[in-house]
Amino acid sequence: MKQKIYSALLFVFLWYLLYFLNVLPAFHVVVVTFLMLVVKAEPVLGKTLLQHAASSLLRVLAGAIVAFSISIPLGILMWFSRIYNLLHPAIEVLRPIPPLAWIPLSYILFASFPNPTVFAQIFIVAVGAFFPSFVTISDYVRGVPQEFIELAKVFGAKSFDLLTKIVLPYSLPGIITGVRVGLGVGWMSIIAAEMIATSGSGLGYFILVMYEVGGRMPEIIAGMAMIGLIGYSMNTLLFKLEERFPWRLKSGT
Amino acid sequence: MRKSTVIFLFLAVAIFISGCAEEESVKLVKLSPPDMLEQIKIGKIDAFIAWEPFPSKAAKSGQKILMSSGDIWKNHPCCVVAYKVGKADEKMLEALVWAHVKATRFINDEKNWDKVVSYASQFTGLDEETVKMALRNIKYVEYPDEKEFRHYYEFLKEAAILKKSVKELGYESEDEFFEKFLRRDIYERVVTKLEENPNYVPEKAGKIRLGYITADLHHLALYVALKEGYLDRVFEDVDLKQYPNGVAIMEAFKLGELDAAYLGGAPATLKRINDEIEISIIAGVNNEGSALVVKKEINSPKDLAGKTVAIPGFGTVQDFLMRKVLKEGGLKVS
Repeated sequence: MKQKIYSALLFVFLWYLLYFLNVLPAFHVVVVTFLMLVVKAEPVLGKTLLQHAASSLLRVLAGAIVAFSISIPLGILMWFSRIYNLLHPAIEVLRPIPPLAWIPLSYILFASFPNPTVFAQIFIVAVGAFFPSFVTISDYVRGVPQEFIELAKVFGAKSFDLLTKIVLPYSLPGIITGVRVGLGVGWMSIIAAEMIATSGSGLGYFILVMYEVGGRMPEIIAGMAMIGLIGYSMNTLLFKLEERFPWRLKSGT
Repeated sequence: MRKSTVIFLFLAVAIFISGCAEEESVKLVKLSPPDMLEQIKIGKIDAFIAWEPFPSKAAKSGQKILMSSGDIWKNHPCCVVAYKVGKADEKMLEALVWAHVKATRFINDEKNWDKVVSYASQFTGLDEETVKMALRNIKYVEYPDEKEFRHYYEFLKEAAILKKSVKELGYESEDEFFEKFLRRDIYERVVTKLEENPNYVPEKAGKIRLGYITADLHHLALYVALKEGYLDRVFEDVDLKQYPNGVAIMEAFKLGELDAAYLGGAPATLKRINDEIEISIIAGVNNEGSALVVKKEINSPKDLAGKTVAIPGFGTVQDFLMRKVLKEGGLKVS
């Protein structure tokens, strides 16, 4: 606890240093702006910071649900070597493409949809969330100790039993880790996607419009703080959930 | 576990509550004017406000015009010619104002109507019938009325869109600020010389980097000055650059990409103050010349409640006019 206080003090100290160098607005100004924006609508866009956060979160959740409903089952199926050999090379080629590089393609793909911007944004989040979650889950699935499998086979277990009774429970913490990592990347993708396309709301859009109208550095930093706060609480919440599984893979195993 | 759950639940509840608390409000979205007509046709937006020729183009294809910008604010100044302080020298400014005044007088001369229509049609890429309609809604001027122009400032200040006061920029009073911001002396010098000698041509200046807005019929004087050779007579080289809206032009001024530009009075005032981009206005371009286009079922500003309205950008003249309409209709922006 003590260290946390020191860390916070150091952070505030460095901030004021930058303030006196005329780089950033004062820390207390940003804190006040943040609190004001949480309760009071900002005059240019007429929305509170929480309303912008809500639109960004909804898009992330929609995109993440799409991503996880594919990455979880597919990741578990990677236990079968045949499927692994089939999919692994393709995934490894697609994985390094940053989610933002998918934006132009997604606009073409969704151009004929009723609301192309929203579909494109959800798609970009889904792409961002899919790969890290899929890779994490398949790593866990592939890491099921061979002894367990052999033992079960001795007792006459079939492939299906192995999958549902050993592989699935064993990789449960991996699925949660995958969801956590995927949501993190999805959250970063939505902020960037909102800055490129006109979405009418969202934290990324908020920051960009504040820049365009000008003279609003405290508002921009307040928006960034909100992004950080939400990303942090999503991550922490799922991390706590993960810790409930005593058999999760420790780092190095 | 418990602490973070509480924080998360608190955030979730707060977000939910604030999401529900939607009052009678209008959603403003940023859209490029050439895309607006298509978007209102497919029903993605319920209304849009843009510069000519887009409202006339919409009217011609069967859309409804609720208000022209003259109905919103009679004789409002719109676009102006501004220069970056320190980038352009006096010789260059006199040359530019001369070319602009000559071109504006060319446009306002009845004798040139056919030529003006054909220039307008080339400049915007639209048929002559549409641009004729659009031209009637624009009043081409040489210098804006200062009192009217200050209305931009008053309104932006009142709406809390301005973030700084003129005192923070180092001016004693608002009057002193406007004296520096609206430079009338060059315009008056050029006009006096033209009165003494109608064939007066200023000394030739070097290269000028000049910005303007894509397909904005307000900026017709620039195109005329180019086509009629006024710019060539006073500049060795003219480098023209197009931007999507006035806010983007102000960004270009900030980055040092431009010496002078045609842009809206609202973004000029807004970014001059908020971002301390040092520009001054040396000539006017037009009064009025925008309009609010709506779907058939909208009959008054009040009907816009809960609808989506497109504007060319936040901080533009059209954004400003839209906020005026909403304020008078008792509606909020969201």
